[in-house]
Amino acid sequence: MEWSLLAQGGLNGVMLGVNYALIALGLTLIFGILGIVNFTHGEMYMLGGYVAYYFFGHFGLNFFATLALSAVLVGALGVILEKFIFRPLTKRPKLELTSLIAAVGLAWVFQMLAIIAFGDLDKNVPSAFKGILRMSGVVITVERLATIIIGLCLVVLLNVFLLKSKTGMTIRAVAQDKEAAALQGVSVDRITALTFGIGCGLAAISGALIAPIFGISPNMGGEVILKAFLVVILGGMGSVPGAMLGGLVLGFVESFGCLFFSVPTVMVLTFSIIILILILKPKGLLGHA
Amino acid sequence: MPKKIGIEAILIILALVVLVTMPWLTQETYVFHILCLIGINIIFAASLNAILNIGELNLAQSAFMGIGAYASTLLVTRVGLSFWFALPLAALITAVISLLIGLLTLRFRGAYFLLFTFLFAELIRILLSNFGISVFGGIPGLTNIPRPSIELGSLIKISFDSKIEFYYLILLITLGSIAILSRIDRSRTGMIFWAISQSESLTESIGIDSMKFKILGVAIGCFFAGVAGSLYAHFVGIITPTDFAVHSVLAPIAYVVVGGMGTVFGPVIGTTFLMVLSHFFLRELGFYELLVYGLIIVGIIRFMPEGLISIPNFIFSRFPEASGSGK
Repeated sequence: MEWSLLAQGGLNGVMLGVNYALIALGLTLIFGILGIVNFTHGEMYMLGGYVAYYFFGHFGLNFFATLALSAVLVGALGVILEKFIFRPLTKRPKLELTSLIAAVGLAWVFQMLAIIAFGDLDKNVPSAFKGILRMSGVVITVERLATIIIGLCLVVLLNVFLLKSKTGMTIRAVAQDKEAAALQGVSVDRITALTFGIGCGLAAISGALIAPIFGISPNMGGEVILKAFLVVILGGMGSVPGAMLGGLVLGFVESFGCLFFSVPTVMVLTFSIIILILILKPKGLLGHA
Repeated sequence: MPKKIGIEAILIILALVVLVTMPWLTQETYVFHILCLIGINIIFAASLNAILNIGELNLAQSAFMGIGAYASTLLVTRVGLSFWFALPLAALITAVISLLIGLLTLRFRGAYFLLFTFLFAELIRILLSNFGISVFGGIPGLTNIPRPSIELGSLIKISFDSKIEFYYLILLITLGSIAILSRIDRSRTGMIFWAISQSESLTESIGIDSMKFKILGVAIGCFFAGVAGSLYAHFVGIITPTDFAVHSVLAPIAYVVVGGMGTVFGPVIGTTFLMVLSHFFLRELGFYELLVYGLIIVGIIRFMPEGLISIPNFIFSRFPEASGSGK
């Protein structure tokens, strides 16, 4: 009984963790390359959820095709935002402050537009994977298991892309030193736009993936952006392994915390743990000093 | 530029005359209600701007306003202090709490400060809604907060029950707050804040302890957030944790950005302009009002980063780039 409860909590923790990691990875990539804290990231996650609602839930598109479509659509939106709103700001002083205010404003605009376009009620997305698995007292829906597997695959794919592919290496080069990368003939503007698109696309996939489990609403982005920020702070700004580790840590803390305490207590505990970690390790668990 | 200063002074005096004689111009309660809210929001926007002056955006500014509001209310209803002591004390409490937060967070630059203040704002909301419900009132908050009154002996008794009397009180405190903030802005400390916002490392290189001044800047900003919170609580009479949640800092950000970040009069102009617009002219917009605010924030940041206050520079000066407060 005790063991099965722990296993259950562990599985839920992994699922939440993988989901947080997906969102936080995009956030940390964008921060690493542009120096922008993308406050609109939660709204990209929300839009991904709505792509799933309409294309998978209503038009009957294949679930995997829906995931890809959400990444493409929202990724394209990210590229547009980068080109017309954020890039012009990078040419001016006080980038951090101005880009942040612009992002906060944009997040607000998207949330309002979503309420106007989709209504402010919570919506359900049908499940893509049916059935329940039982293993010695541990019960998990196939849906949650599939979410974990798809999420993990995406995280691994992204890592392979960043570490092995030429474009991935270029992204890392630009994140390290823009001028040096430009001197090597890298088109920094193109890479920056691409990174913004990838980051937003990841958030959208995460939203589409989780939509059948938690349902969707126009303000789901605001709730998740806080978690994603926690993960990024925890793992260290701009660190890719940090975002993955941070995601898992937060997922486990929430999942196990809820087994023993009430939700508000868990949130207070989570915040306290994170503040403590930051006092001891100001740059996050895996951040560079 | 003595000519330009002359025009500014005339405009300020004109505005003051209109504000002071307002009760003779109209008796409409709604007008005074909105004017009081504008005053409170000006103090709050100015407090947000005081922290933008050191180059940081404080997402917990509303939470600090909330701390001021709850502190002032509890000091009056539980401790039995009069409003006149509760207001400054609540502002001080807010500033002291912000000192602790400043010490913790200002070691991290830029993004970290923002994220940390985001967390702090959520933490305050959760604590106020779920813990110590007998004191803080939980999610429904605190109600029946008394209006202030003055009693000197048995002869003089002014109660601030009516909107018009409260209007004068808020007008006085708003003017006082702006005067103090503009005084700080022109002092040596204000210069150092400005220098830090331009380049922190350069400021440190001439031997200035930037950490000390950043903490001071945050404490000054939060002090006035506390003042705004206390006024809000006693004016509206009801406070709830959601009044001070993260999203409630968005409209004030719009006020500051539209008026002009980093200037003393920017927040005053921005708050007045947007609130008059939304409460007197755009009321039928209803829900779309928030959308418009969001678009305004993005548009101003993108195309007119210095805000409305930069417009006269283009009109009155032949060399706009020479008269602005640096680039």
